[in-house]
Amino acid sequence: MSSQTSPTTEQDAVLSAGIDRSLRHPVMFFLTSAAAWLAVSLILGIISSAKVHSPGFMDGCSWLTYGRTQAAHVNALVYGWGFQAAFGVIVWMLSRLSRQECRASGLILTAGHIWNFGISVGVLGILAGYGTGMSWMEFPAFTWPVMLLAYFAIVIWSFVQFKVRPAGHVYISQWYLMAAMIWFPWVFITANVLLHVMPGNPVMAAGINAWYKSSLIFLFFTPIALGTAFYLTPKVTGRPIHSYSLAKLGFWSLAVIMPWAGMQKLTGAPIPYFLPYVGATATVLFFIPAFTAAVNILRTATADPDVANHSPTLRFTMAGVVGLIVMAVAAVFLNIPGWTMQLSQFSMSGYGFEILALYAFFSFVMFGAIYFIVPRVTRREWLSRRLIKMHFFFSIYGIMIIAIAAIFGGLQQGIGQEAFDQPWQESAAERAVNYGWAITISWCFILFSNIFFFMHLTVMWLRLGRRSMHPTLLVSDHGHGDSPHGGEGHIDNCGPGTASATH
Amino acid sequence: MSFRTFIFSLSASFGVAWLAIVIVPYIKMRALEPIAMEEGDGTNAVFIPKRAGRIADGAEVYAANGCYQCHTQLVRPTYAGNDMFRPDWGGLQFDEVRGDTRRETNAFDFAGEDFAQIGISRIGPDLSNLGRRIEAIYAKGTEPGQWLFAHLYNPRWKPDRRNSTCPSFRFLFEENEIKGNSSDDALPFPVEEGMEIVPGPDARALVSYLLSLKKDQPVPASLNFGPPEAEAAPAAAPAAPAAAPAEVPAP
Amino acid sequence: MSSPSQNPKPDLDESINVTQAHGRVERETAAAAREKRLADNGHEPVSLWMIAACGIVLLIAGGVLGDAGTLFSYDSTFKEGYVRGKAPGGADEGPKPKTALAAYSGKGAKIYSLCSGCHGSTGKGDANYPSLAGSEWVNGDTQKLAMIILNGLQGPTSTGKTYGAGVMPAVGAALSADDLATLMTYIRNGFGNSSGDIVSPEMAQNALDVSAAREKAGQPITAEEIAAKHMIMLPGEPIAPETMVNPISLAPAQ
Repeated sequence: MSSQTSPTTEQDAVLSAGIDRSLRHPVMFFLTSAAAWLAVSLILGIISSAKVHSPGFMDGCSWLTYGRTQAAHVNALVYGWGFQAAFGVIVWMLSRLSRQECRASGLILTAGHIWNFGISVGVLGILAGYGTGMSWMEFPAFTWPVMLLAYFAIVIWSFVQFKVRPAGHVYISQWYLMAAMIWFPWVFITANVLLHVMPGNPVMAAGINAWYKSSLIFLFFTPIALGTAFYLTPKVTGRPIHSYSLAKLGFWSLAVIMPWAGMQKLTGAPIPYFLPYVGATATVLFFIPAFTAAVNILRTATADPDVANHSPTLRFTMAGVVGLIVMAVAAVFLNIPGWTMQLSQFSMSGYGFEILALYAFFSFVMFGAIYFIVPRVTRREWLSRRLIKMHFFFSIYGIMIIAIAAIFGGLQQGIGQEAFDQPWQESAAERAVNYGWAITISWCFILFSNIFFFMHLTVMWLRLGRRSMHPTLLVSDHGHGDSPHGGEGHIDNCGPGTASATH
Repeated sequence: MSFRTFIFSLSASFGVAWLAIVIVPYIKMRALEPIAMEEGDGTNAVFIPKRAGRIADGAEVYAANGCYQCHTQLVRPTYAGNDMFRPDWGGLQFDEVRGDTRRETNAFDFAGEDFAQIGISRIGPDLSNLGRRIEAIYAKGTEPGQWLFAHLYNPRWKPDRRNSTCPSFRFLFEENEIKGNSSDDALPFPVEEGMEIVPGPDARALVSYLLSLKKDQPVPASLNFGPPEAEAAPAAAPAAPAAAPAEVPAP
Repeated sequence: MSSPSQNPKPDLDESINVTQAHGRVERETAAAAREKRLADNGHEPVSLWMIAACGIVLLIAGGVLGDAGTLFSYDSTFKEGYVRGKAPGGADEGPKPKTALAAYSGKGAKIYSLCSGCHGSTGKGDANYPSLAGSEWVNGDTQKLAMIILNGLQGPTSTGKTYGAGVMPAVGAALSADDLATLMTYIRNGFGNSSGDIVSPEMAQNALDVSAAREKAGQPITAEEIAAKHMIMLPGEPIAPETMVNPISLAPAQ
């Protein structure tokens, strides 16, 4: 392989465009329905967060009680937004990397609809009062086989494509994505069988639930986002990965360390004594694969600072990777037994860490991928760089508030909880209220930012994006005024016979 | 790296952890041996915490309404938190009959439930001994069930709970016409003439479950982590050793 | 490799304008065309800062793992050798000590529920049951009261009157020494009685022994037997009523 990147040859471009075209329906379906579920989750998140500080808000209606909306919010975020964004990216990226067109679009699209149906039933089931009470597994138990079958139908083709790929080097993103695709069903089947199907000790069941949550974050969402970031950054900047062997080391350290994490949420519970401490150790060690990958990607991206500034894809991806660094530091800081662990164990820090993982890291990288993929599969460019900027900045504001509220607020809450000689209401409960306000405000910012995203994505989905050979960049081309479309004469109006613009 | 190597290494790295921290402890904890109580009373009693009430139904209502989002049911040992130092979480510090009844949660405490609602966060207090707290403190002298129904209907009813952020569960209650006399468990909240507020079936199951939360029974010695009784007799007093080693006392 | 063009034989098709076709290909593949090839073999060395940061985290993780005790010891759900710690700040001192009189009476009040069914909650009895208030057998020497509680009574009471069928069952036959002591203290110092002394568990144990050693052990006692043998104080070390004790264990408080 050459040590410098070179512009893609025409043959490659034609092949890539063909792959993109074959994937348009499944990928756009996943991305738009993911965005819709993100909207649902954000609205539920605002409602439930409001109830923490204003319990009279919309109370009395059983569908909107805090316990149900909070569970529905998290499940919609994970299975509605997170998984479907991941599916869209997996299906597209592995097709591209295997250099195979997708011949199973119909199957994937159908399976996507079934997945959506399953989680719709699930979320409605939670709100209607049929939740199972197991965190991140609150969907009524009958939905999980449906989800599992839909999942297999969605990812099986990617494995087939990998099998028939042309001979050659396998890129790091493929390892990350395929690993995530194998880890998830293993974890999912284990947790659902042991918790729903087989009877066991109830405390150990709670431990396995905690392991499930942690495994979803570290063994599904993290590798998907890392694989995506490792793909997008060289693609957009044209630079090689800063240190490829470090990237491989990062992958294997993730694979070896993270399956042990999760049970630290049950410190002090009557499960075998060493389990929570092994979980805490593994979560602390998450720093190593996370930080090395983050530095790798950031160094690759900032090698060409111009491109990094201009490309929406890269800006979101880099923001996501910075989110990963924050998440990695939080993973160390919040899990030190004898110091912060008992403070963070039952406080807002846990929720905040999950949101850091799901939004600050995973979602930002997914946004970057979406801004990259959608123009390619729809052959239209994004309409407005202003919409992209609004999306970016308000999401940043929101997620920063959550990060601070969760990490420091959660610890403050924990200190109040541990003050055993103080009455509960003043020392512990009222601290929660203040941080509840912070979380509500930040979700409002994030919803506001994503309204721009939804509008923009809908327009693209309807193929109303602009037809142009020039991408929508965050800074205008050639310095010609503020027009996002570049200078005069650069817009081409499609159709046969039109003179194509010069590059 | 070939695909075969990849799959093998992935399976090995994940599989070892999966076995070690999920499968093996799960299997071991399914078959917990009941522990015998002390033989002091001569019986062969084993430690089986009995819970009176509608545990299964109530636990379902507890789970479906997300109580575990704000409440925990775990009294942690002192190396993991300060729960044991609170006067009424692990039991009662000043019980009139037994003195200090507080203890840590153990693996037998969730009998009757499929999934221990250890809980996610503590916006509200821990509930392991809620039944004990209500009977001994909050509803002392009155019906504990009625206190709890009133709390669920309107958590901010009592003046000292004006700032509680517990949601109101009034959707678990019904408004019925008063037929003859008002029901025994009608709630003391204002309602229109001729009507009364009574708990619905889910509220009854939930309250039955919550009142059964009394996890401060005496435990066998192996689960009793209290400091050893302060021996008044000087254990260090050198009584004549049965089998004297080298030293021979001078005649 | 597949091609986006639907036409399998472009060279033979006269309607194809090559420039047009090329332009269309350019437009359709514009986005893909401007992508860069992935290159993966950067060989930059790992920076020292990164190694240092990871090293620090490894140390922290090692410390965390050190707290885990014996790894893979599945049988212990608690830390080995765990003993409950003391609450920092000494807030954990146990129940407030009370005077012996208050403590014994408090415990005795609960046991009195065995007696209140007949003698009434105020101890005054009624037409069918004798009053304990001011009774000669209740106050004064302690052994007679103990015998009645432990064995029951047949025949007339200290006042000479026979109540009801004239038989009191041995309601206290199964009492332990502690329970008997607290019950007697309660009766002797409540209901308007004011003996002002404590019946200690030691005295109560002696009462149990004496009761078991009676000739007619197991049968109710009579006024004659009381007058003959039991008009004495139970032997035992007296406890001053103002002594501070732990109200649960009755042990002297420090």
